[in-house]
Amino acid sequence: MRLLRHPAAHWLLALVVGGIFVYASLSKIADPRAFAKIVYHYQVIGPSASLGFVPANLVAVALPWLELIAGVLLIAGLWRREAAVVTAVMLGVFVVAVASTLARGIDIQNCGCFALDASGRSAGWKLIAGDFALLAAALVVAFVPPRAPQAAADTSPVTAV
Amino acid sequence: MPLRPGRIALIAASGLACGLAWNAWSGRGIALGANAFLREGAEEIPAAEARERFDRGALFLDARPVANYEMSHIPGAMPLPEDDFDRHFTALEPRLRSRFDAVVYCAGYGCEASHLVAARLHERGIQVAILNEGWPAWTDAGYPVKEGREP
Repeated sequence: MRLLRHPAAHWLLALVVGGIFVYASLSKIADPRAFAKIVYHYQVIGPSASLGFVPANLVAVALPWLELIAGVLLIAGLWRREAAVVTAVMLGVFVVAVASTLARGIDIQNCGCFALDASGRSAGWKLIAGDFALLAAALVVAFVPPRAPQAAADTSPVTAV
Repeated sequence: MPLRPGRIALIAASGLACGLAWNAWSGRGIALGANAFLREGAEEIPAAEARERFDRGALFLDARPVANYEMSHIPGAMPLPEDDFDRHFTALEPRLRSRFDAVVYCAGYGCEASHLVAARLHERGIQVAILNEGWPAWTDAGYPVKEGREP
C-alpha cells in the first residue's frame, strides 16, 4: 500500500495505462468503418431491429477519441484522477462486453482492441484478465491518494518498498 | 486533490465531440444511421466458405445467363443473370431484402457477372458475398449441383 501511494508509482501507472489507451485509439481513429464492424460483432448495442445502427456507429465514432483524450491526459498528468475514472469506466464496459460475448457463445476473432485487421487478438478470458489489470491500475490512479511530494522525498524508494 | 465530476463529464463530452467532428470532416467517417458494411466493396469468399454457408441455408444467386443455369446450378440457387438483371431482381427483391447471407457466383475466372450483380445489389442497399472463382471452384471441389430449370 505504501508503494501504491508513492507519487512515482502513480506516474508510472498513469503512463502505462495512458500509453496503452493512446496506442489503442490510433488504428480505430484511422478507420472508423472497420471499427464499427467490430462493434457490430459484439451484438451488445446493435445493430438490431429495435436499436438500429446509430448506437453501435456512435460508439465506433466516439470511443476511440475518448480513449485518446483520456490517455493523453493520463500521460500529461492533467486532470489525472478524472481521466483515470473515465479509463476505468471504459475498461469496465470492455470487460462486460467481452464477458457477454463469452456467455452467449459469440466468437469474436478480433476484439477491436488494437489492430483492426486479421492480426488483431481475439476476445476471450485472457483479454478480460488484461482488462482487469489495467482496471486495477486505473482505479489506483483514480482513488488511492498519493503521498504529498515532501513525504515522498523523505523516504528513499528503497525503504518505501 | 478532490475528484471533480465536472471534469469527467467534460472529458466524456470532448470524446463525443471530437469523434463526431472527425467523423464529419475527416473523410473517413461513416453514416451514423447506416450499416457500416454497406459502402464497402463486395466481400469475396472461397468455395469452402461458400459450402459452409450453403450448409447453413444461405441463398445462392446465379449470375450466369439463364441457359447456363438450366444446364446445371448450385441446388437451391436462384437465377439472377447479369444480362437480364432487372426482371429477375424484381421477383427476388423481397427475399433478398429479408436476409443477409446471399452468395452470388458466375462462370469463374475472368468472369465479371457476379461482381456486376453484387455491385448492382449494393447500389440497392443489398450486400452479398461473391464466390471466388465462381462455378468451377464449386464443381472442382465436388460440391452438389442440380440440373434443370427448378432451383
